[in-house]
Amino acid sequence: MIKNEKVTDLTYLIEMTGGKKHLILEIIYTFLEQIADEIKSMNDAISTANYATIKSYAHTMKSTVSVMGISIIIPVLKEMENLGAKAENIEKIKELKMEIDLICKQAILEIETIKLNYV
Amino acid sequence: MKIDNHIKIFIVDDNNVFALTLKSDIENTFSIFPIEVKLFESGEICMSELKKENPQIVILDYQLNSRKPDAVDGIKVLDWIKEINDEIFVIMLTGNDHIDIAIKSFQHGASDYIVKTDTQFKKIIFSLSNCFKIIKAKNDSIKYLRELDDYKKHHSFE
Repeated sequence: MIKNEKVTDLTYLIEMTGGKKHLILEIIYTFLEQIADEIKSMNDAISTANYATIKSYAHTMKSTVSVMGISIIIPVLKEMENLGAKAENIEKIKELKMEIDLICKQAILEIETIKLNYV
Repeated sequence: MKIDNHIKIFIVDDNNVFALTLKSDIENTFSIFPIEVKLFESGEICMSELKKENPQIVILDYQLNSRKPDAVDGIKVLDWIKEINDEIFVIMLTGNDHIDIAIKSFQHGASDYIVKTDTQFKKIIFSLSNCFKIIKAKNDSIKYLRELDDYKKHHSFE
């Protein structure tokens, strides 16, 4: 699905912060910490088929990733949120989670590289 | 009556990335205004500070229990805020565009209701601009009434 295309776009973040480097860096650090926590919590919820928590984290992650311009992941999260709300199809949820992991892994690598410009 | 031109805004949202970005956007957009923005991860923490700090505006997420399932939701926090000070402007945020939540928010005293979408930050900034206009109008009204009282004290109309 993802090849050499970038999955992040920080244009929005730069606009929101007025380009202030310390603010961009603070948000990047918060993002890296939070996204790891959200992925872990989502894994835990999927392993126990806790649909309410799956829905909740899919919902929260949409706000988190939108700040970093990771728009490619939004439809995947929406589908997961809908399945979580209906409390059905854990196998499909697992598939979606693999897709989310792949995109997030690439996004984190990109953001770690971008971060170096602001340190 | 005290006129306070300094505007305090509370943001209550358990998504730190979202809250921090919103804070930056507000401070950046209204950089010429005397604004102070504070962040809170839960309604419970916000309420412990609210009485002390007395903000004019609270930006409140409806879904405050995504990380901590036992945390109170936005409507309950909205009720607490209104019990303490009915004049605080509360801008309710929600990730889901449900008319029921919108109606409930307004019935409980929210000043505005914004759905978290691609244009969320622009809508919040617009809503804040409206709150600032109302706060300014109220402050001006207090000021003019005070000036009128002073004038009456020093001038006889008989």
